[in-house]
Amino acid sequence: MNVLEVIEVRKHFGSKQVLDGVSFSVPENCVFGFIGRNGAGKTTTMRAVLGLLQIDGGEITVCGERVRYGCTPKSGNIGFLPDVPEFYGYMNAREYLMLCGEITGIGRQALNARCEELLRLVGLNGETHRIKGYSRGMKQRLGIAQALINRPKLLICDEPTSALDPVGRKDILDIIRAAKEQTSVVFSTHILSDVERICSRVAFLEGGKTAFSGSIEEIRAMKRDPALELTLPRPADLDRVRAAFPQSEISDGRLVFPKASDRDCADLMAFLAAQEIPVLRLERHEADLEDLFLEVIGK
Amino acid sequence: MKGFAAFLKKEIREMIRTRKLMILLLVFLAFGILNPLTALLMPKLLQSAEIPGMTVGEITVTALDAWTQFAKNMPTAMIVFLISVSGIYTAEYTKGTLIPLLTKGLSRSAAVLAKCTVMLAAWSAGFWLSFLVTWFYSGWYWDNSAVREILFAAFCRWLFGVLMIACTVFFSSFAASAAQVILGTGSVYIAMTLIGMYDKANSYLPVHLCDSLPLYTGAAQPSGYAAAAAVTALLSAVQILAALPLTNRRQL
Repeated sequence: MNVLEVIEVRKHFGSKQVLDGVSFSVPENCVFGFIGRNGAGKTTTMRAVLGLLQIDGGEITVCGERVRYGCTPKSGNIGFLPDVPEFYGYMNAREYLMLCGEITGIGRQALNARCEELLRLVGLNGETHRIKGYSRGMKQRLGIAQALINRPKLLICDEPTSALDPVGRKDILDIIRAAKEQTSVVFSTHILSDVERICSRVAFLEGGKTAFSGSIEEIRAMKRDPALELTLPRPADLDRVRAAFPQSEISDGRLVFPKASDRDCADLMAFLAAQEIPVLRLERHEADLEDLFLEVIGK
Repeated sequence: MKGFAAFLKKEIREMIRTRKLMILLLVFLAFGILNPLTALLMPKLLQSAEIPGMTVGEITVTALDAWTQFAKNMPTAMIVFLISVSGIYTAEYTKGTLIPLLTKGLSRSAAVLAKCTVMLAAWSAGFWLSFLVTWFYSGWYWDNSAVREILFAAFCRWLFGVLMIACTVFFSSFAASAAQVILGTGSVYIAMTLIGMYDKANSYLPVHLCDSLPLYTGAAQPSGYAAAAAVTALLSAVQILAALPLTNRRQL
């Protein structure tokens, strides 16, 4: 069963059509990467899922319950981590988690245990200072803890790593990976290496539409042919090879085949062997998410 | 209900930890002391001031002077109070602190009502503290029984404060900043004062509740304030109730 279904969602602000038919679905226990440029509509989509934004058209369901504006879906128990989480500075982390737990109606004893467990998970268990003195990374970690307090079936994280240093990013990604055991995670970002690290499914948002949605395996399957790079010890050989393979280009003293199929690769190796051309390095570049993303957005 | 209780607890903690409650109570306490003190010291001040061409005779101070000061000083205390709570809603909306709690199932109405409850409680605590201090010192130095309808006049003033809090709740449901809330609340007050210039309307207007002196001297009876009190209570309830759907529709 899909935890989240977004079907043909449309939203405009003034004359700008921000979402123009966004559709994707998130299955259970999956980390879903929601990828798009700055201003592509990622935050708008997420706020619509939370019922914080009125949509012009389309439908959003969380655990089968239709999302209505002004009401956060209850049956699905959504956890939300905003891009810049803001808390009450006069509380400490435990007090804030207790407040969140009390709002969700968790019993006192269970709540104490849950707070302890979450503070340990995010590494804030020894922290007794008030939130106003927290660093951005600490606030982000507390943000994840509060989002998980009621064991939500869906955790929505809006660019959780964008403003963090490498250590902070790794911490957050590790916590999200650990959270996957309990919940499905929708994780918006424009940092593609983060997506490759933890996501099993992705959707690309471009021009207000879902340009692509599928599993990482499906992406790999549809990826264009990888690039091939050949480095030769004798520069004179470059021209001989170039003459035989007109689709190649010479760049920085190397021969580059922008798109090389398996057949092209075999032909090249056969040619090099037949001509007895010595080779320094022959390398195939797997196209990564970034290549695909750039292809999708037409750059 | 559990959301309301949890959020109310958070609001009380906020009032205490940010020292807002302490400062407000100190302000009201100061005004409470100031009312009889001003009445007590004014003749001495006037007599000690040597103004050419003016002779100050014997001035008899009574409890009425202290309560007149109470009536004069309370609007200032109320303005201080309203300014200090004007951003209570808009700060949450602009900072986004409410969003994590709303996504946990807290209803917007519960948040609005919890904040309203805390404001009413703080206003009541401050106002009646000021009243009790004035009453105590006024009774200590003079005789409170010489002044009529002290309690009812105070109730009218308190009720007017409730209306101003309701205005704050109402304007906060769509205003973008604390300044806009103050502007809205202030406009209501000015509009009421202008309408109050017509004698026929005056007895129905909430501002009539601030007219305490006739009550103190016996020139007016509490029954003459019933209509204004009823209108004030009704307006307060309508504004708070109207704020709920407006806040629900507000884009956060």
